[in-house]
Amino acid sequence: MELNDWELVQKCQAGEMSAFQELVSRYHQKVYMVILGLLRNREDALEVAQETFFRAYRKIKSFQGGSSFYTWIYRIAVNLSIDAQRRQKRNPLDFRESMDEVLEAQNEVAKDPYSDVHDKELRQALLKAINDLTPEHKAVIVLRTIEGLSYKDIGEILGCSEGTVMSRLHYARKKLHDKLSAFL
Amino acid sequence: MRDCEGIRESIGSWLDGELSAAESESVRAHLASCSDCVETQRRLEKMQLALKAALTSPAPQIEFMSFWRGVERRINQKRAWYDDLLDWSRGLFTAPRVAWTVPAVIGILLVLVSTDVWRLGGSRNSFASVESIDTYGRSVALLREQETKTTVIWLYQDQEGENEAAEDTAKSAPTF
Amino acid sequence: MRLLKTLRNRLRLFSLIVVLVAGWVGAAEKNPQSVQVRIRTILAGNKSDEFDPKLKDMEQQLKPLKYRSYRSLKDDSQNVPWQGTKSFEIPGGRLLTVAPQEYQNNRVSLKVRLTEGDKPVLDTAVGIQNKGNFILGGPPHEGGTLVLLISAAAQ
Repeated sequence: MELNDWELVQKCQAGEMSAFQELVSRYHQKVYMVILGLLRNREDALEVAQETFFRAYRKIKSFQGGSSFYTWIYRIAVNLSIDAQRRQKRNPLDFRESMDEVLEAQNEVAKDPYSDVHDKELRQALLKAINDLTPEHKAVIVLRTIEGLSYKDIGEILGCSEGTVMSRLHYARKKLHDKLSAFL
Repeated sequence: MRDCEGIRESIGSWLDGELSAAESESVRAHLASCSDCVETQRRLEKMQLALKAALTSPAPQIEFMSFWRGVERRINQKRAWYDDLLDWSRGLFTAPRVAWTVPAVIGILLVLVSTDVWRLGGSRNSFASVESIDTYGRSVALLREQETKTTVIWLYQDQEGENEAAEDTAKSAPTF
Repeated sequence: MRLLKTLRNRLRLFSLIVVLVAGWVGAAEKNPQSVQVRIRTILAGNKSDEFDPKLKDMEQQLKPLKYRSYRSLKDDSQNVPWQGTKSFEIPGGRLLTVAPQEYQNNRVSLKVRLTEGDKPVLDTAVGIQNKGNFILGGPPHEGGTLVLLISAAAQ
C-alpha cells in the first residue's frame, strides 16, 4: 500500500533514505516547474531544485506536519528562487542571454500550440513582463498559474495571509495587463 | 450593487474560485448587465491562458535518477564548518528586517546618547559648588572626593552637647 | 534597489520621529517644572563591619568616609516646585528643608537647612549637577553618625 507524505516524512526522520527518495520522486517535477517559472533558466532551475531537496533533507527532522509536505517544500523552493532571482538581477546580461536560450528552445519544440505569430509575440512580451515583477509578485503568479494552488496554500508557502495573496495577485495581473493591453 | 471599479478588482479572484458565495453572486449579477466588465473578464481570461501557456509550455521532463543523483551528491558532500553559520545568518538578514533594524539601531543610539544612559560604570556626579554656608558657630569641613567627584559638608559635633556616643563619631572629619 | 529605497524611507520616518522627540525633550529640559529631591539617610559607625546591601550603589561614595559599618535608615523622595520648600524628617528629631532655586546649564541650585528641634544647625546654598548629589554628614545618632546623601533631578 502506498504511504502518504506524512508517513514517508516520519520514515525519513527515522533515517530511511529510501523514504526521502520516494518523496523526491513525487515532487521533483512539480518543484522544478515552479522554479523554472520563476527563474526562466533551465540550468539554474535544476540547480535550485536539487538544492531545495537537499535543504529539505537537512531540515526534515524539524518538519512537524503542521502544513502539508508540498507547501513546505514549495516554501523552500520559492525562498531559494527569490534569492537566486536577486542574484540574477545583479547580472542582467547573463539573464537576458539565458532568457533568449529558453525562448529559442521553446521555438524548437515540435508541439507548439501557438503557431500564430501574434500569440508568439504575446508570449515573449508576457515572459518579459513577468520578469519585471518583483520576486514576491512573480511568486504568486507562478504558484497560481502553474500549480493552481489555492490562496490559502499560496499564503502558507509565502508566509502571508490570504488577503495579501489576493492583493498581490490583483496587482501583478494589473501590471501584466497594462503592459500587454495591445495584445489582449 | 457594487460599482465597476470594485467588480474589476474581484474578477481575478472570482475566476480563481476564491470568492464567497455571496461575493460570487454579486460579480455574476453585475457581469450580466455590464458589457465593460465583461470585456475586462474576457481580457483577463485571455491573459490567464497565455500566462499558463508561457509558464508551462514546453514542459521539460526531468529524468528522475539523474536528478536524484544530484541531490544525493549534495547530501553526501562534506560541508565547510561555516556553511551552516552562513545559512543561518542569511535567514536573519532579510531585506525587510534590515530596513527596520538599521533605522531602529540609529534611533536607539541617538536616544541613549542624549539621555546619558550609555555612560558605563563610574559616577555621573560632578563636584557641587558650595556658594554659602552658615553653621551657626559650629565647625564645618568642606571636602572633595576626587574619584567619585563627591562634595562632602561635614559638621563637627557641638562640644557642649557631647555624650558617650561621641567616641564613635569621627572626631575629625573624614579625610580623602 | 528595493532595499535601499525602503531603507531611505524608513530612515526619513525615523529621523522625523527623532527630531520631534528631541525637540520635546529639549523643551522639557529648558523649562523643568519641578525638582525631585531624594534624601538617603545612612547611619555610619564603627561597632560592626556591616554594609547594608541597599547602599551598594553608593559604596564608592561612602567608603572614603572610613567608617566600618553603614546602614540605610531612610530613603525619601519628594517633588519640590521651584522656589518652593519641602521638609524631610531626619532621625534624632531633625528636619532637612530643601528649596530649589533655579536650573541653569544642567545644574540645580538648592538652599538647604538642617534643624534640630527648632534650632537651625546648618544653612547652605549649593549648586549640583542635574541628577547629581552631595553628602551632608556629622550629626550623631544612636552611637553612630548620620550621613545624608542629597540628590536632585529637574523634572
